[in-house]
Amino acid sequence: MTASLHAAQPGDALPGVDFGRISRTRLALYAGASGDHNQIHIDSDFAKKAGMPDVFAHGMLSMGVLARVVSDWAGVEKIVSLSARFLAITPVNARLVCGGQVTERLDLNGEPHLRIALSAEITTAEGQSAKTLAGEAVVRVARAA
Amino acid sequence: MGETSQATRGYFKRDTAGIRTEPVSFDVEAGRISFFCETIAEMGAIHHDDAAARAAGFPAIVAPPTFAMVVDTETGRAAERAGRASIPTLIGCNFARLLHGEERYDYHGLIFAGDRLSVSTEVVGFEDKKGGALEFAHMRTQITHQQRGVLVTITRSLVHRLT
Repeated sequence: MTASLHAAQPGDALPGVDFGRISRTRLALYAGASGDHNQIHIDSDFAKKAGMPDVFAHGMLSMGVLARVVSDWAGVEKIVSLSARFLAITPVNARLVCGGQVTERLDLNGEPHLRIALSAEITTAEGQSAKTLAGEAVVRVARAA
Repeated sequence: MGETSQATRGYFKRDTAGIRTEPVSFDVEAGRISFFCETIAEMGAIHHDDAAARAAGFPAIVAPPTFAMVVDTETGRAAERAGRASIPTLIGCNFARLLHGEERYDYHGLIFAGDRLSVSTEVVGFEDKKGGALEFAHMRTQITHQQRGVLVTITRSLVHRLT
């Protein structure tokens, strides 16, 4: 069981998001939807010419999924800040799983907030695992006026 | 972090440090929010259905947290169409060697379908890391609504693999 926004304490885990396998189709659709048309994510000829074994996922696709860990639990209107460091490339066909954990209850401008540590992990088609994103979010506990 | 060295190579045009792009406007369409959400498998009704968003107390369909990057990339494309350089062109991104370093959003208000937004980016600066194996570009973007003020500040670093 995950605690409610009001009752959450440091150490509580948020419900994770299992995004499944990231297919080439997914990368093509994300390129169109996001406006990031960088060919390294959608054109294997370009990726190989650039010295990569194949296309790899947009880091922002993973961050979009990572953000869902917070917004699906707390509500998009509660998020004060969201950040991520990109640690490793996500090869096409890797499986993405995102999770989060409350790390701190804090007061900002006299209002209660939670700090949440986020992480994205992948398992490649070859069975190798890696942490690809380390993130953090701060959410407001009280509803915005 | 903090490891620096003299740049002997690299692609970023370092003389663009300090430049701020002219504001570009962007109209937020409901369909674009819905399509973007579908690609990240965000199926919450407030992102797809106007009536559901209103029932939840919002004035219109709500953009998800990372939609700010859509606003940013599309205004870059609009600048290029208008004959001006987008940030990637301006700072000299080499897409064959480009990686994303960090991305941060500070939220001051939500983005809704129907909003007309204004976007401007400042090139904060450049640095070398890992003994010159990587070069970083730092940018800060503000997404502003005429009545509601700054909605999102994006802080971003892009990286070139130099080895």
